[in-house]
Amino acid sequence: MIDRLWFLMPELIVLGGAVLCAILGVSRKVGVRNLLPVFAGWTLIIAGVVAWLFVYVPSTELAAVATEVPLPWLGRWVVIMSAVVGLMLVFVQAGLVDRVYEAAVAAGRVAFDPLRTTRGEYWVFFLLSVGGLMLTSGASDLVWLFLALELTSLPTYVMVAIGRVDRRSQEAGMKYFFLGALASAVFLYGFAMLYGATGTMSLVDIRTVLAEQVAETGSMNPLATIGLMVAVLGIAFKLAAAPLHLYAADVYEGAAAPVTAFLGFVPKAAGVIALMLLLSVTGWQEDGQLPQVLVILLWVMAVLTMTLGNIGALLQTRIKRMLAYSSIAHSGYLLIGILAGPGAGYTAVLIYLVAYGLSNTATFSVLAGLRRSGQEVEFLDDLAGLRERHPIMAWGMAISAGSLLGFPPLLGFWAKLLLFMAGIASGQLVLVIIAGVNSAISAWYYLKIMAIPLVGTPKSDAASIERVDVPGARFALVLISGALLVMPVALSDMIADAEAALREPDKMQTVDEDSGHAGGSAIKQEQPSLQS
Amino acid sequence: MPPMSLMLANQLPLYLPIVILIVMAIIFGAVNILGSHLLGPKRYGEEKMSTYESGMNPIGTARRRFNVRFYILAMTFLVFDVEIIFLYPWAVDFAQLEPGSPEAGLFLGRILFFLLMSVIAYVYAWKKGVFRWD
Amino acid sequence: MTVSMLNILQSAVGVPAVPMDQVVVATDLRWAGIILLLPLLSLLLCGLCAAMRVKSKLPAWCTVACLAGSFVLSVLLYVNYNPPGEVIPLLSWMNLSWGDGALNSFSANFALYIDSLSLLWIMFVTGLGTLIAYYASEYMEPDLGKGYARFFAGVSVFLFAMLALVLSDNLVMLYLGWEGVGFASYWLIGYYYTRPAAVAAAKKAFIVNRIGDLGLALAVYLIWTTFGTVQYDELMTVLESHSWRAEFEGWTISAIPFLLMLAAFGKSAQLPLYVWLPDAMEGPTPVSALIHAATMVTAGIYLVARTYPLFLLEPVSLHVVAWVGGLTALLAATIGMAQYDIKRIMAYSTVSQLGYMFLGLGVLTTYGAAYHVFTHAFFKAVLFLTCGAIMHGFAGQLDLRKLSGLRHMKGWRITSWTMLIGCLCLAGFPLTSGYFSKDAILAEAFVTQGPGFEILGWIAILTAGLTAYYTFRVWFRVCAGPVSYEPGDELHDDHGDHGHGDFHPHAPRFAINSVLVVIAVGALVAATPYFMSNKADANIAGGWVADMVHDSTARAGLPGLAESQHPHSEEVSHGAHEHPTLFGMDPHKAMYFVSGAVGLIGILLAAYLHLWKRKSADALRGWLLARGWIAWLPRAMERKWYVDELYHALVRAPLWILGHICYAFDRFIIDAVIVDGTARVPRLIARWLQPLQSGAVQSHAVVMIGGVGIIVLLLALCLRFEWLGVVL
Repeated sequence: MIDRLWFLMPELIVLGGAVLCAILGVSRKVGVRNLLPVFAGWTLIIAGVVAWLFVYVPSTELAAVATEVPLPWLGRWVVIMSAVVGLMLVFVQAGLVDRVYEAAVAAGRVAFDPLRTTRGEYWVFFLLSVGGLMLTSGASDLVWLFLALELTSLPTYVMVAIGRVDRRSQEAGMKYFFLGALASAVFLYGFAMLYGATGTMSLVDIRTVLAEQVAETGSMNPLATIGLMVAVLGIAFKLAAAPLHLYAADVYEGAAAPVTAFLGFVPKAAGVIALMLLLSVTGWQEDGQLPQVLVILLWVMAVLTMTLGNIGALLQTRIKRMLAYSSIAHSGYLLIGILAGPGAGYTAVLIYLVAYGLSNTATFSVLAGLRRSGQEVEFLDDLAGLRERHPIMAWGMAISAGSLLGFPPLLGFWAKLLLFMAGIASGQLVLVIIAGVNSAISAWYYLKIMAIPLVGTPKSDAASIERVDVPGARFALVLISGALLVMPVALSDMIADAEAALREPDKMQTVDEDSGHAGGSAIKQEQPSLQS
Repeated sequence: MPPMSLMLANQLPLYLPIVILIVMAIIFGAVNILGSHLLGPKRYGEEKMSTYESGMNPIGTARRRFNVRFYILAMTFLVFDVEIIFLYPWAVDFAQLEPGSPEAGLFLGRILFFLLMSVIAYVYAWKKGVFRWD
Repeated sequence: MTVSMLNILQSAVGVPAVPMDQVVVATDLRWAGIILLLPLLSLLLCGLCAAMRVKSKLPAWCTVACLAGSFVLSVLLYVNYNPPGEVIPLLSWMNLSWGDGALNSFSANFALYIDSLSLLWIMFVTGLGTLIAYYASEYMEPDLGKGYARFFAGVSVFLFAMLALVLSDNLVMLYLGWEGVGFASYWLIGYYYTRPAAVAAAKKAFIVNRIGDLGLALAVYLIWTTFGTVQYDELMTVLESHSWRAEFEGWTISAIPFLLMLAAFGKSAQLPLYVWLPDAMEGPTPVSALIHAATMVTAGIYLVARTYPLFLLEPVSLHVVAWVGGLTALLAATIGMAQYDIKRIMAYSTVSQLGYMFLGLGVLTTYGAAYHVFTHAFFKAVLFLTCGAIMHGFAGQLDLRKLSGLRHMKGWRITSWTMLIGCLCLAGFPLTSGYFSKDAILAEAFVTQGPGFEILGWIAILTAGLTAYYTFRVWFRVCAGPVSYEPGDELHDDHGDHGHGDFHPHAPRFAINSVLVVIAVGALVAATPYFMSNKADANIAGGWVADMVHDSTARAGLPGLAESQHPHSEEVSHGAHEHPTLFGMDPHKAMYFVSGAVGLIGILLAAYLHLWKRKSADALRGWLLARGWIAWLPRAMERKWYVDELYHALVRAPLWILGHICYAFDRFIIDAVIVDGTARVPRLIARWLQPLQSGAVQSHAVVMIGGVGIIVLLLALCLRFEWLGVVL
């Protein structure tokens, strides 16, 4: 028990940070309140560093955990990824909440009232949601999985509503909450059926029981199959995958741009991780057989999701709505990796999540970093000729949108390449061809996003677009743009780390050290399951 | 693959008590409502149709907006209310543990952590000004 | 099915897949990576200077310091490395495998391949780079605060790319460096971007180079498909393994050297792709000296030397290399004879000398080629830098008819004498460095057997005479004779006050003079390696440079190396068995006299026509032009044999027409019908689907639950009635 807690240290740090944020947020000193983003950022950095230090934990200590969790090493990758992308998101959100209120307090127009400020709460929810994502990866049973997913989602409902003072964001928050609750009910229903069919909550035990049933009767218990299907469909809400994708466009548009950046990554990543864990109960790490029904289900979901997402994005003139639909399409690509399975597919998924998370954050940071008389920039055409006034923004937008499109040599290209290669290798050629066609369709609007800020002719009122006074979003944009250009250099190391994160429990005795270093010559461990 | 109906058939008897319970609950509810509706006498008057407020005469309409502090206060109350639900079974279990054993320490640590969380929530609510009424 | 095609191989750098018997993996030499990093640091600092709008010479000092650091480290590396070669892993980059077997993996890493060939190259690249950057600190003065930092940033980019090209341990990284030097060259030729000629020259250089780059890209691809690797050490192992050689055949073996050759000819300005180099003189002169004389243009030689074993597999390719080199040398020399712009003359002489180097490679004397690269780097740098000093001092004046007697002018003595040293070396004056390096190539043309190699040898000797003539034509015109000068058309502000009538040339100061002296001394000293003792194999002539080549991939081209070591190169072996002679002597000995005599004749001719009787040169030209049967010769030489016009008619004009046809097709067929038409389909579907997205939360919920319900129901029915077999 204590061992298990020890490995939850990063999550506990994030939880502690959230609690402290709550207390500091009601401080009467404005300096303390302004420190909240810094504090949240450091919390994530420390959590990430602690997770990174797990490299040095001897493998014998990990053995206890290994028997309980399907993918015991996944947590480290997810925590570090959440910490890195989360840190970027912190930069983007800095100075977002209560901007008007704090300005009024600073000007002495109103007295500070702890009840009216929401800044502290916002950062609490931010950290809790990221913490939920981290917890998802360590889930050992269905209850944990459910709670972690809810911990990821529930704060986001509030974040959407308090992200800005606006009727649309309130509406989006409500909508998101109701539909989210509905989706939670759906996958909880699936979990219940799974429990009913196997009599246990533990993922590892469910896998054992199902394997026994298969050995006895030759196929999986239909109740368990239907339960898995329903649970997968419910989790599709977190991914914004069809047919539970409908909320995405409304909610993403209604929320403030930084919150949308958050929604585009954190719940989606949690959903993907949850899918990976949930599908592990079918035992396809061992025999590589996903039940045919689930294959059909995921296949149909992937095709529907990417096609509907890309087609939806085509017609939009509002940039946030366009990006919302494009993020739906990315869920479809991610499902290819899920379908390609443990090994290459999951490796590609983990790398794609990083690439997508960074690029997505960067595109929204452009929107978060620009203002027109206090309001967000709404239309893509408003960004025309941005290069002339804010060259960094325009180039950052081009690089990040290029990465989302999969433009060589950016990180997004390599991630997509790995995903498609994994798909082909697992025999899903048709699916990959459909995804390729979809990529081509997406080029239509991504190239617009890239080109309009760079070479478009500015509209007459372009001069009214100003940079926001908090430099966080610009800082994140520059950092991420650089990273998208530079990270492909370390592609091999990323693949090595991702594969290390997917190592299976029984292989871990041979592992003493991970190879995080350049040169890659230190990779000594056996490679798990090279071929079927 | 054996037919699904066959596999379900093996398991269905296990659920029989639940089904009986559900059916009984529905019948009980329906019979009660229907019975009182059909059998009970119906007399209407002004006093009888007015809102029931624990015996007091109703003041104004019930559809008015309440101060938001009511809700916050209610939520804070709920936190401590639920805390009791955790504390009671814990206390019952803790009494049966051998004093000084590692399990007892772990039990104590857990509940102290839980209480600490509640205290932090309380401090937060206090600083937030939930208990002020001005 | 659990597939893991992306599993990391053991990093191919760390543990080579093919056991290597010779090349050592040296992780302890990792500090050599700093050689590469220093130019990058310098780029960063120059960028910062540009961003901070630094008005001082700070960017120059940053660059000089970083490059000097690179040079010192290169020398240290030379002292510390273990022959015959070492691979230094820096950073793993691409290690992909998607199955077992030869063509199912691909590795290319940032790793350095250190052998004597790359060491030779990096030492003169960084050394000359440092000196020329120091020279440029003074030369670029007029641009202080404007383009100064941009210039040095370009130089840093170039040095980084060049070092990456030379040091890379695989063809992919070499390709990156190859494109990088092309880009840097484009950047620096177009440095004066307000001048249309400079912009046009930059574009020309880039486009012509792209043709070569295409060859390189195809060659890299073919090498990978044929040999299954792009890393030199593995490639050489494969080439030397008998099991492979037993089964090799097919067109790729023949195609690879020709594609590599195309790349080399593009970068090193050989027929038919040399046209960009003379135009590249539009860039600042230090750039011409560094990139277009000393370093970048030798990248082609390096490429051929590095992949020499591939050329040995296809003897015809080496014959082509030799002939193209020889003909380019002659053609460029004849054009150089008739030009008046001294920088342009130097450019043509560079093309001509590069032709010599390829001739050397073609006639199997890699050490001759490498030695000529080495000496040429020094003396051509001196010549360019003196031209630059003159151009700088005389407001852009480069016409040799308008400058005279610089030798007698105050402050111009160092320039004149260093230029003389450069000219002597280039002309192959006896006992200078150029004399020995050129002879090594010329003699080998008579020794090695090949189609018409003897004719080629005589062409090369003729070219040597022409070279001596046009070289000294410049020196006698510009530096000797009575003092007289006219300023050029680039009067800077500090001259502007005086106007044309009262022009004062400003003589070079310390930075330029010191660099000129150092490199001129270097050009003279470059003769000594020829006499230094040969460690590796006493049978091999050529001293230190031969040593440098001996340990590298180009060792097959060393004369005297035992034939048995290279059984597959029998067809192109040296004619060592019968010992051909020249005038009854060993060709190497005979060549000392022949080429010395030819050089002296050329110099004397130049002295007569351009120093003692200057009028006679114009008289000769007039006499030639008056005779109808010979008049085409001076005309054609002055118009550069009409090559640019020919290319225009053959390539540019048809492309222009084709371009317009394509444009029309694109505009009216593709754009209008196909693109817009196809794009309309998804958009129509989107319009049709739009009502589904009404935005009401109830309808969302209905669609969600309905979707889940329908899917589950359908799949459950499939499960129930076992339809899956039918569906799948």
